[in-house]
Amino acid sequence: MTIITQPAAVPVTPNKGAEPVDPVYRQIRDLVYKVSGIYKAEEKLYLLADGCTRRMKQLGARTPRDYWDQLTAQPSRDGELRQLLNEITIGETCLFRSQPQLDALRKVILPEIVGEKNKQITKRLRIWSAGCSTGEESYTLAMNMLEERDRLLQGWTLEILATDLNDRSIETAKAGIYGDYALRNTTDYFKRKYFSILDERKLQVSAEVKKLITFSRLNLQDDSRMLFMKGIDLVFCCNVLIYFDGVSKAKVINHFFSNLNFGGYFFLGTSESLMRLNDQFHLIHFPGTIAYWKPSLKSGKL
Amino acid sequence: MTVSLAETIHERVRHIETMPAIPAVFLPLLKLLSSSGQDARVDEVVRLVSYDNTIAAQCLRVASSPLFGLEKSPKSIKGAVLTLGLRRVETILLTCCLGQAFPAKKWVLDPAVFWRHSLGCAMVCRKFSEKLAVADGEKAYMAGLLHDIGFMVNCLVFPEEFAKTMKCARGEEIPLDEAEQSTMGFTHCETGQALAEKWGLANDVIEVIAHHHAIEKSQKARPLVALVHLSDLLCRMRGLGYGYYERRMVDLIADPAWPILLQEHRDLEGVDLVRFTFELDEAVGAIHALVAMVFGSAPART
Repeated sequence: MTIITQPAAVPVTPNKGAEPVDPVYRQIRDLVYKVSGIYKAEEKLYLLADGCTRRMKQLGARTPRDYWDQLTAQPSRDGELRQLLNEITIGETCLFRSQPQLDALRKVILPEIVGEKNKQITKRLRIWSAGCSTGEESYTLAMNMLEERDRLLQGWTLEILATDLNDRSIETAKAGIYGDYALRNTTDYFKRKYFSILDERKLQVSAEVKKLITFSRLNLQDDSRMLFMKGIDLVFCCNVLIYFDGVSKAKVINHFFSNLNFGGYFFLGTSESLMRLNDQFHLIHFPGTIAYWKPSLKSGKL
Repeated sequence: MTVSLAETIHERVRHIETMPAIPAVFLPLLKLLSSSGQDARVDEVVRLVSYDNTIAAQCLRVASSPLFGLEKSPKSIKGAVLTLGLRRVETILLTCCLGQAFPAKKWVLDPAVFWRHSLGCAMVCRKFSEKLAVADGEKAYMAGLLHDIGFMVNCLVFPEEFAKTMKCARGEEIPLDEAEQSTMGFTHCETGQALAEKWGLANDVIEVIAHHHAIEKSQKARPLVALVHLSDLLCRMRGLGYGYYERRMVDLIADPAWPILLQEHRDLEGVDLVRFTFELDEAVGAIHALVAMVFGSAPART
């Protein structure tokens, strides 16, 4: 019985309804993957279709096929792809966006890094949220690290560097004020422990959490500044590189490789791929998520 | 494993007849699946299935499901063979037979969870085979479907011992085979092998069942064992495991199975493992549906 080998045979639920998706969307899905590394799985194809529909309305394109032509024909191609990427990644940002990533971090990676570094004199863990946008990921990481402070990370210095190109995003991030939508995945436990109530609809991140994070402006394509980022244990760079062309993407990824300590990990967005742009990182599977690993010196796998 | 332990396993498996009845068409069907020469087999399969109305009806129900995207539901097994192909109908039949042999009921290991893993692995094996242009994808499918059959033997023949194993695996979040080894002193590989030999399965499939956790022990079917081993790992990392969190990381390319498979199939080098992983995610919903249809709908677990 073929299940994934005949994509056309798998029921697709556009708008979670029963209508099959136009096959053009699979072509668009493949194009988006090739250009950006973002993969919209079959059951999420309706999200891609929704994004395309919104763009089609803007452009006055009548059918998905017309839209495909606009996506692939010069000179509109690059600009339109960018617009579409914006559409399909919009609204993905929230605190606790990927529980499998956090589980991998706390259950598998931290015990390993702590085990390695416990032999060293300075016990410091340095995490970089590269392309932190309005801070949701940075605070999520900070809260999860604080949860380990009395256990695995007892006596450790914790440091989270959060950078973004956009000054306005950084200002929003620094304020640390979030509404229901951004907090939709945040449990009451975390809300009570790490937030204060600002008004009926908004919560603000506590000073204890903010203290761990340094927000600053950084262009990932600024080579000289990228060289200064050193001694990083974990890099999180979610849905940022999708906007870069292949050459720039490869360059940034090489920087990340140098920025990381041996044995460090690099996380992309949950449906994002490194597209084999770097053969030094090892692809690692954790339950429900993947990451890229810079081999440790003693592993002999450099 | 000591000699007396091996004897105990074989002795208990010999008495498995007292356990739930295996449909009469199951073993002849397995033999047919292992043999080659497609044309002559159509009539033989149709004849075999005509002895068992329950199996025939279930096979037609599965073949008519949206999973296969047929416009018209086949009215007979012969009709199903004509529209879906012999190999595919054979594997549907095999799956239905296994559903009867080990029906859903309250066991230590939830049969729905078990079959999701087995079907998931079978599907990944076939998908891998297609990428690597392996001659017999259905053989790989069957090997994937049956690789963990030893767990069902454990449930039937060693229920108390295996209950301790499951508790240990869940509690410590370790792989089931490690928990088996530490609590029982043997694994599903040995119990599965005993059943496979009793059933007279093809030698390469027996090797898969016996050695998918220790490829180096495989003598004559290493590439097939390696293929199933990698597919098994991938399934467990993508939500088709044993219903609990396995606290581990998997580096498929650094796994000893990878070079074995690569030596046989150079195409492996070109496989985009990340996209392959995302494509597997697409099939998870379909697998849940299929398991509910064939094996009865035990409640889903995460």
